[in-house]
Amino acid sequence: MVERIRIGATGRMVRRREILKGAATMGIAGAFPGLIARRAFAADTPTVVNSIRSLSNPYHATWNKGGAAFAASVGAEYVTLVTEGNSEKGIADIKAILAKTGGNCVINVDPNDSPDARPIVEAAKAAGAYVVTQWNKPNDLHPWDFDPNYVAHISFSGVPYGKAMADTLIKAMGGKGGIVALGGIESNVPAIERKAGLQQALDENPGVELLDLQVANWSATEALEKTNAWLTQFGDQIGGIWAANDDMALAAVEALRADGRAGKVPVTGIDGIQLAVEAILAGEMVGTVAWDPFWQGGMGLSIGYHAKTGKFDPSTEPKDHREFYGTGVIITSENAQSYYDTNVKAEPALDWNDIWGRVSGQIQYS
Amino acid sequence: MTAMEKSATSAPAATSQPGGRGRRWRLASWAPVIVLVLLCAAITAINPNFLSFGNAVRISQAAMIPLVLGLGATFIILMGSIDLSVEGVLTLATVILSLLVLNGANANELGLLAVVVVLLVGAGVGFVNGVIHVRLKVPSFMTTLGIWFIGVGVANALLGGMAVRINDPWIRGLAIDRFLGFPWGVWLALFCLAVALVIQDHTRLGRYIYALGGGEELAALSGIPVARVRIAAFTLAGVFYAVGGILAAAQLGLGNAQIGNGRLFTTITAVVVGGTALSGGQGGVVQTLVGVLIVVVLSNGMVLMGVPPSVQIGVQGLMIIAAVALSIDRKLMRIVK
Repeated sequence: MVERIRIGATGRMVRRREILKGAATMGIAGAFPGLIARRAFAADTPTVVNSIRSLSNPYHATWNKGGAAFAASVGAEYVTLVTEGNSEKGIADIKAILAKTGGNCVINVDPNDSPDARPIVEAAKAAGAYVVTQWNKPNDLHPWDFDPNYVAHISFSGVPYGKAMADTLIKAMGGKGGIVALGGIESNVPAIERKAGLQQALDENPGVELLDLQVANWSATEALEKTNAWLTQFGDQIGGIWAANDDMALAAVEALRADGRAGKVPVTGIDGIQLAVEAILAGEMVGTVAWDPFWQGGMGLSIGYHAKTGKFDPSTEPKDHREFYGTGVIITSENAQSYYDTNVKAEPALDWNDIWGRVSGQIQYS
Repeated sequence: MTAMEKSATSAPAATSQPGGRGRRWRLASWAPVIVLVLLCAAITAINPNFLSFGNAVRISQAAMIPLVLGLGATFIILMGSIDLSVEGVLTLATVILSLLVLNGANANELGLLAVVVVLLVGAGVGFVNGVIHVRLKVPSFMTTLGIWFIGVGVANALLGGMAVRINDPWIRGLAIDRFLGFPWGVWLALFCLAVALVIQDHTRLGRYIYALGGGEELAALSGIPVARVRIAAFTLAGVFYAVGGILAAAQLGLGNAQIGNGRLFTTITAVVVGGTALSGGQGGVVQTLVGVLIVVVLSNGMVLMGVPPSVQIGVQGLMIIAAVALSIDRKLMRIVK
């Protein structure tokens, strides 16, 4: 008898906790779609969907703004899906939106990881939706194998821009001296390509020596530590700092500032984030490359939207319109002010109908 | 021997143990210091620049944030709990600070008042950590994991993914302006160390924290208000993380939601490498200082010695195991989990 009461009491406690848990889960589940898809879906115009990694970095936040700007320009419903670095979630969310819209949608996706692109494309084709991928996809997955639903894949080659920044840096150093370099995560394709570009520039400029290259994993904190150690090791030998992205470049500037040398040692980054452009204006950095995520977020949708609404037929487009390198904007002290005025202070005014305007060659696989 | 007696003397000469163990135990507790000295000697042999004053300043700059974070985490680990909310509180503190002082995104200019707000936020988040942990009886691992994500999430929501430049001369001055050759931030971190030392050795809270770590049931039976001590310790830790956030903001000159990335690992590593046991009750803030220096000197030294980047993380792992293995007194332990 006593035993039964005890079990009963335990059972009730567990139930109460379960109910609380269930209620909390339902509350959270209810809040999220409300946050992300605020408006009801329109019937005729295709819904336009951006699927990106997160909204916690300036790059993807700007990407999202571009998507919203394009959607507003054609009066389409706009949905942002966030993977939070989780491939399963990314694919599941896309399948959900395909089901919800009955395939009447255009998806512009930065797949969390290369293998994700295949199930996303297959699901879109099965549903009759149109899809554009950017940055990541397996090398053997091609848009022309999924005509007409897989409209295009867009990427950016890191080699020419890594080299362009190294050239800018070397020019600022007067063509000679020592360089230290901050690399991204060693296995990342952009990190490898940008480093290869740096190496090309070094080969062409025998007067410039690469003192050291350290991997700072795209992180400002790590870049600050590495730069501090270099200031001890090389001191005045450091003539310039090349960084594979802007976060690391800005951290290098801060390390120099604590040493009283900010603005005296040229620094370059890549990505074109706002703070980097401001640092160029302040004379503390000498260059960066803007991928223009605003363009990526909007134009990826625009290309898919034009195909979906019958403005062009993807299956008749040449291959360099199906898998192409986009064009980065090289920013130096010469054009930093005009770039800042048109892209940072004001929302960029892009012609969303100029869909092939930034094609710079078909993607090459090594 | 009660837990209180055990903690009556403290770092780094360490606790008294009955009988012949005393001498051995002292040696083991000095192991981290020996590791640190050997490390410095090895690096100096390869690159004499290591001993320059300039490098000492740079090491102190690199150590100031991990030290402050480690001080907070030390109190939690001394209780035998764990705090994973380091990055969450730090990120939140940095982002709130960057939005309240003179900055590039809005018209706020609260100056030092913003610092007070941020410290209160840190205390508040720590307090919530403690209350959830104690009152709802959620293990500290899960509570603080949740608070970590909530902190980063709120910081994200505040900034919408962008970075904010900090222009406040007081905040930036912590990293740039110097006193006796060292940046003010380093002095602030040392001040925090002194405060932590006083709390640890000369307040009831500090003694109770040791007692809890040594044996919570015993402590409870001796009349120690266990729940209140736990909540107070988490609140205190939150304040230290907030100070870490202020220093991070000063150092990088900006607030963004990624500023905390990777700091939890450094913090816990430094505390444990210094000789504070994850099981609680042993160690202290001075050990944490030594642990932080080991971690920072190692990463500085590997660049100076020209260790290839791909090998560095592996060397760090080896050092962690070596430092902990040296400082453990195996005779005291029957079970290792």
